[in-house]
Amino acid sequence: MPAIKTILIIEDDRFIGEMYQRSLRQAGYEVDWAVTGRDGARAAISKPYDLILLDIMLPETQGDVVLDVLRGDVDKIPSSRVIVLTNFDQDDEARKTLQQKVDGYLIKADITPRKLIDIISQMATVH
Amino acid sequence: MAITRLPDVFPAHLRRVIWATIALQSVLLVVLGILLWGAGVGWLQMVVYFLLPVAVLQIFAFIIIGKYALEPLDFLSRTVTQISDHPHSTTPPNLNGTRHERTGFKLMVDTIYQRSSQSQASTPAVDETDAALQATVLNTLPGGVIALNQERKVIYANKLAPVMTNSKGEHVILLDFPPNGSLEAWLNMVESSEVHAMKKWSGVQTAAPGASDRRVFDIIASYEKNATGGADTIIMLFDQTQHYSVAEESLDFMALAAHELRGPITVIRGYLDILRPELEPSLSDDQRVLFDRLDVSSSRLSGYIGNILNAAKFDRRHLKLHLREERLTDIYQLVADDLALRASTQNRLIAVAFPDNLPTVAADRNSLSEVIGNFVDNAIKYSREGGQINVTAAVDGNNVRFSVQDYGVGMPGSVVSGLFGKFYRSHRSKHTVSGTGLGLYISKAIIESHGGQVGVTSTEGEGSTFSFSVPTYASVKDKLLASDAENEGIIETSSGWIKNHSMYRG
Repeated sequence: MPAIKTILIIEDDRFIGEMYQRSLRQAGYEVDWAVTGRDGARAAISKPYDLILLDIMLPETQGDVVLDVLRGDVDKIPSSRVIVLTNFDQDDEARKTLQQKVDGYLIKADITPRKLIDIISQMATVH
Repeated sequence: MAITRLPDVFPAHLRRVIWATIALQSVLLVVLGILLWGAGVGWLQMVVYFLLPVAVLQIFAFIIIGKYALEPLDFLSRTVTQISDHPHSTTPPNLNGTRHERTGFKLMVDTIYQRSSQSQASTPAVDETDAALQATVLNTLPGGVIALNQERKVIYANKLAPVMTNSKGEHVILLDFPPNGSLEAWLNMVESSEVHAMKKWSGVQTAAPGASDRRVFDIIASYEKNATGGADTIIMLFDQTQHYSVAEESLDFMALAAHELRGPITVIRGYLDILRPELEPSLSDDQRVLFDRLDVSSSRLSGYIGNILNAAKFDRRHLKLHLREERLTDIYQLVADDLALRASTQNRLIAVAFPDNLPTVAADRNSLSEVIGNFVDNAIKYSREGGQINVTAAVDGNNVRFSVQDYGVGMPGSVVSGLFGKFYRSHRSKHTVSGTGLGLYISKAIIESHGGQVGVTSTEGEGSTFSFSVPTYASVKDKLLASDAENEGIIETSSGWIKNHSMYRG
């Protein structure tokens, strides 16, 4: 896996989307932000992002559907890593399903932008 | 003076036997001495060839005879004490060896227990019924009754008892006991050490909330070794579903609200996190203090939300811990900065002193850091302006004990007893100190799920010490390795997980 340079945020909440975009750009990442699940899936397929930050509770096309589109039977984003960023707790079953498809699962309320940047920079050095 | 307590009878008798033996032996030696002296035997010869060997032989003889004569008496005395109503701390005789079966002492003691339980069982306050009516009474009782035999098989369950027959034809009790306080664990303990015992449980559910025919019981179980009819364990269940559903509904509502609060709190904490460094160069000292207070308050709010959601998960048995080898000092580091800031904004000082070489513990670092946060936050809230808070840890047998001591308002004993209950708020602090009443409840649940224990000592006006102990990793390693293979490679962060990540490893 290459070092992380490009990041796609899929997040419908404007306050939260802007927050991540602003802090990640300041940290030197190249950031795109999609507001709906459909736009997010399209963007993810059209450009090989190093990292996708995916919200689950999205209007119309939900995050788990986006994940099915991107990493269903065929992995359409083999060069991307995915972290789910949500405020909803997962049960054990959902966790097992998610662990197959994504690289991380974080609770937004507890992960401030600075912590997120720490985690991303660590991911870059580990892989 | 006459002996009036049963447990004192045998020890007093033992003392009399010992003194009588010593006196008798002394007289015998003196008489022998006089006779030998009369026969003209010299002193040295007398002592070496006669008195010393005789004394040694006598001592051996008394020890052997005494043991054989006194041991059954000891068994009898302890058995009678056990079945009496006298208060005592005497343990029941341990007659598990084959020797006692051969000598018949076991038979003797078992017979006493049997007769005692028969006489208790056969003397109800009023009994003008026949067996059929008794069965009807049992079946129409406004509560459940279950009887278990020595093998812990269900031999009777009335209509209201939550007992089901499975596909193999076995009767199964449908009760979801708390992880570390099950009926089985209690029976394991009492069967090896007690003759009769009793235990109560509150709020034991038949299924997780949401299930359609779910019921919640308060339970009393009584155990009687070798009871008449073979029903060693009797369980009585009082249906309290209505009573508990009120507290559950409020927790459900709070959990729902807490989920909603996570959105705005994400924005508040996130924007503070962004704004602070951007504004830092132009901030005055006063403004920095205000930012600190914002940080502290928003992280505290985040902690409350965590407690509510964890408590709701725990009640549904959804709170899953992932135990692995951790250093307590590393776990403390996860929350150290936050707690130090909380303390300094409220003029408290946290003094942390962990000894070197503390053994590692088996812990879920996120959950344990939340417990530490709750304990220290309480100490901050209930101590005085300028007060010190001591955070320490020590080895305690197979556990590591973590303690938080404050010199604050303290509590009377009446408050201490209910402290770890759900929604508990002391009447004195209800209106003056903020909180959800769930912090200590969920802390206790988390620690007990680790196989540890929480404790508190407090003196009103002087302060309190809250502590918890969790097992050392070495003491539970084998068990963990057997059960935890599936989580390999997943590193839990403070709020979520990241695959194959070196962060937070400490």
